[in-house]
Amino acid sequence: MQTVLNLLEAEPIRLFLSFGVILFLVLNLAGILTFAERKVAAYIQLRYGPNRVGPRGFLQPAADVVKLFTKENVSPQRSDLWIFLGAPIAMFLPAAAVWLVVPFAPRSVVADLNVGIVFFIALTSIGALGLIMAGYGSRSTFSLLGAMRGAAQMISYEVPLILSLLGVIMLAGSLSFQDVVNAQAGGFWNWYFLPQLPMFITFYIAGVAEARRVPFDLPEGESEIVGGFMVEYSGMTWGLIQASEFASMALVSAITATLFLGGWQPPFPFLDLGNFNWLWFAIKTALIIFTFQWIRWSLPRLRMDQLMDFGWKVLVPVCLIWLFVTAGAMLAFPSVF
Amino acid sequence: MTVAFGFLAGMVLVSAFGVVVSRNVVHSALFMSGSFLGVAGFFVMLNAPALAAFQVLIYVGAVTVVILFGIMFTQRPQARRYRTIINRQFWAGLLVAVGVGAFLSYVLAVEEWRSTAPGNGPRAVAQLGRDMLGVSPGAEIFALLFQVVSVLLLVAIIAAIVVSRRKVGTGVDRGVEE
Repeated sequence: MQTVLNLLEAEPIRLFLSFGVILFLVLNLAGILTFAERKVAAYIQLRYGPNRVGPRGFLQPAADVVKLFTKENVSPQRSDLWIFLGAPIAMFLPAAAVWLVVPFAPRSVVADLNVGIVFFIALTSIGALGLIMAGYGSRSTFSLLGAMRGAAQMISYEVPLILSLLGVIMLAGSLSFQDVVNAQAGGFWNWYFLPQLPMFITFYIAGVAEARRVPFDLPEGESEIVGGFMVEYSGMTWGLIQASEFASMALVSAITATLFLGGWQPPFPFLDLGNFNWLWFAIKTALIIFTFQWIRWSLPRLRMDQLMDFGWKVLVPVCLIWLFVTAGAMLAFPSVF
Repeated sequence: MTVAFGFLAGMVLVSAFGVVVSRNVVHSALFMSGSFLGVAGFFVMLNAPALAAFQVLIYVGAVTVVILFGIMFTQRPQARRYRTIINRQFWAGLLVAVGVGAFLSYVLAVEEWRSTAPGNGPRAVAQLGRDMLGVSPGAEIFALLFQVVSVLLLVAIIAAIVVSRRKVGTGVDRGVEE
């Protein structure tokens, strides 16, 4: 038994196994989140939502997946086939791979990179590539429009996303997620969302934009460009795009919880659950995902120029100002930090 | 380790070849991102995950995306085919290729290649940052270079604004009745 465990903990095997587990979790997460999305939407709109498959509709995701797998995988005749088929993979893999550096619990992190935050930013930025591939490969005007909107949006909102992380990095003095979480120990008044409130709000908004959720769903815009970059996808390729959207939404929530809401740290010291602290992480992530869904069913979509104005003229200056405030406070009161 | 190196080297070379021979600009750009990813893999193998992350962030996430974005805005990417300039500058290209090849072969033959242990040299992120800002002794010159690059970027940004600015009074057409 011990030899088997030792073998499994040997370096390349451990990494591959962990990545397999993470892929499994992320794919399931996508299924569960589609169900949650529909239920939340239904209750916000005073209806029941899916309630036929299984008790209270709990088996709906399974039915959806069976349907997607059995559906024919249509690709447009004049599409650029390799790019068309590669795009869902190029969107899904980065969104799944970032989970490698997310700390779930005190000792549960696959790869505690000392540059974890940069890793997160780097892989998030690849997402735009998959989007452009999908839009170009489909060879459809709607797809191309969606991809161009998406690329512009993701390039623009990456700037506030990265800038809003700098305050946390300065306070924690580290680029490792585990260090950032450890620096927030000892109760919710030590979490970074209090000293970094403007950055927290900016990161949250930019995260919604990076995950392309309403009100920033211009690349999809189903009422104007009928689904945008994914209009030509069907069957499991569509399912993979959908899974990557949900994976990146959950990812942004998890990163928000980790950086600003203490990660797996309990809100009060006496609530420490030891190895079960991952429950705190799960609760915080789930709450943030719920706010994403709440926003989706409450707000209308932004116009393109409003989107650009908001990103460049509001979020970026707020980040820069608060960056100076943070730096000034750290210089003026070195004993506090 | 050798297998990983062979895989990455193959990826870089095949992608780089693809960039050159591809008839389609978008294909070239995507091949280029594959080549950049391979180089990031080399950085990981050299125990420099920070450099790898920045390589992916800057080259794959920013440069390639902006190139693709530019192609989509300025050309008709769905046009059937692009004529690349392979044929027009054949002799000049051959000259440059042979020259670079000869130089690289010379370096390969002359340099005494040693393997280094992980952590040998300024590989840690913190050390890199200190060197970059000229805090550590002996590296003060890098601070000046760093600032010069910053000024260059600022100039580029201002120039872009000046070039793309509309004349005063023409207004911005946003599809809204003013």
